[in-house]
Amino acid sequence: MISLRQVEKSYRRGAEIVWALRGIDLEIEAGEFTAVIGPSGAGKTTLLHILGCLDLPSGGELHFDGVQVDKMRDAELVALRRQKIGFIFQQFYLIPGLSVLDNIALPLLFSKKKPPEGRIEELARMVGLGERMHHVPAQLSGGEMQRTAIARALVNNPEVILADEPTGNLDSANSEKIFAILQELHHSGLTVIMITHNQELANRANRMIRIKDGIIEV
Amino acid sequence: MSGMLKLAIQNLLRHRTRSFLTMLGIAAAVGVLFAVFSFNRGFEEGLARELQATGLHFMVVPSGCAHEVAALVLHGAVIPKYLDTEVIETIRKVDGIRLTTPILVAQLPNPDRQRIDLIYGVETDLLPEIKPEWQIDGNIPGGPHEILLGYNVAKHAEIKTGAEFRYPNVDIVFTVSGIVGQTNSQDDAFVYMPIATAQQLLENPTGATAIGVKVVSPERMGTIIGELETNIPGIQIVTMGQVMNSVSNVASSAKSLSLAIALVAVIIGAVGVMNSILMAVFERSQEIGMMRAIGASRWNIFQIILKETMILTIVGGATGVVIAMLAAKLIEAFVRRIMPYVPQGDMLRFDLGLALACVAFAMVVGIIAGLYPAWKASRINPIEAIKG
Repeated sequence: MISLRQVEKSYRRGAEIVWALRGIDLEIEAGEFTAVIGPSGAGKTTLLHILGCLDLPSGGELHFDGVQVDKMRDAELVALRRQKIGFIFQQFYLIPGLSVLDNIALPLLFSKKKPPEGRIEELARMVGLGERMHHVPAQLSGGEMQRTAIARALVNNPEVILADEPTGNLDSANSEKIFAILQELHHSGLTVIMITHNQELANRANRMIRIKDGIIEV
Repeated sequence: MSGMLKLAIQNLLRHRTRSFLTMLGIAAAVGVLFAVFSFNRGFEEGLARELQATGLHFMVVPSGCAHEVAALVLHGAVIPKYLDTEVIETIRKVDGIRLTTPILVAQLPNPDRQRIDLIYGVETDLLPEIKPEWQIDGNIPGGPHEILLGYNVAKHAEIKTGAEFRYPNVDIVFTVSGIVGQTNSQDDAFVYMPIATAQQLLENPTGATAIGVKVVSPERMGTIIGELETNIPGIQIVTMGQVMNSVSNVASSAKSLSLAIALVAVIIGAVGVMNSILMAVFERSQEIGMMRAIGASRWNIFQIILKETMILTIVGGATGVVIAMLAAKLIEAFVRRIMPYVPQGDMLRFDLGLALACVAFAMVVGIIAGLYPAWKASRINPIEAIKG
């Protein structure tokens, strides 16, 4: 589904060039639940951004569903992200004044898709927010905010969910709930790639990738 | 409501005070702009109305300054020059003259009522022809000691038709034969009396400040004026059109200055909007990065930010118009104090077309002010923004 061949990513920090990823070869198969672990600064987030077509490699090739992505223009990358990718962030990034329902529907503003009747409410119920649909983020707990963000990531019916430390700001009980939802999505056929510092959660994914200094450790 | 619009409104509501103050800046600027345009329009219309209310085509006056003549015609200034009423006989001989009347305008202090009356001496039997639109409560003066009061004079002194009217040190008891209904022109401010009585009061038995003339056919006015100026030395003829230009010219510099100030205020308001929105863009860069990640294009981000500035300026513009209308009396009172001549009646009147034009102008200003912040927001690198 997603294929990385000798992918490199470098960026300039002052006078020095920093290599965030070095010669990454990786195949993500459809329906996999992959956990990416590694120390801070290892290149996990950079890898996730490249897998999510949010960033492009400095070298090597990136293919998504067999299509080469690394030569695409910005508009093509935007269209790809809208159609096939759902992002979940550690800080949730909900819009403060909008209700749970409006936050979930946010990506539809950009994709101009009209969801089937009741789809947004169904997603809210699916993540356990059936009673909180009209609440604004300030009225939600951290776990509820992350569940809203998960529903938002699902609204465009993506093929893959990319989660960047989705439990990083949550207590263990809420982390469990979020992980359970991700597992459920995986069982329903979605491809899930999750960055985490939580070794115990990573062990429960069906594949674990360890990355250090921009290199995948075998 | 469209989702983008809802999002833009929510973004503005997140910093209510900042949005309100920015909007207030635009409201003040657009309010001033609306007031200036509205006043200028009201001024021209009021002036035209007042000139039409004189009921004359032109005035024969002693040679001098046209501005003084304008002041005389419009609000009863004192001119130390008089025409001799004998001139009227020469004027009447010219072919095409329909009506002539000597006019003696003067100020007469009335300390009993703590005011100065504006006396308008005229051949009173011609009044129905000069002022056909007047609604008079009573009659036009029939005898030498009968007077007709303008609406404001009667209202201010609380005088009814038939009442007696006196001036200190004047040994005449006047009877109010009638009161002119409100005209919203300078006519409301005069005390009308027969020309001979006015001449007697002012101890100038043959003097007139002007001779008002109405011609049979206005198309021949040029020829008639040329003939009069050739035949009568020491006079000047001022048409109502010239008076209008003259007064307009006097007022034009003040109008231009106020318009310039209003435009500078709009520019300052626009810079305020740009600054406010730019600040909001920097504060929300992580959120913008998130939106890019979940499928927003650069154009989507550009649109959201531009909508925010447009909402601020449209609401600000509309508020400005409302404030200007609410403060219309205050603004008019202020302008009347600083300008040498302002026509009677309301100068600031609500004009939907002008109001819409001002709000549309505010919207254009909003679009211009929003271009840079919107472009800046659309260039935010989502990777760097999300990393914080």
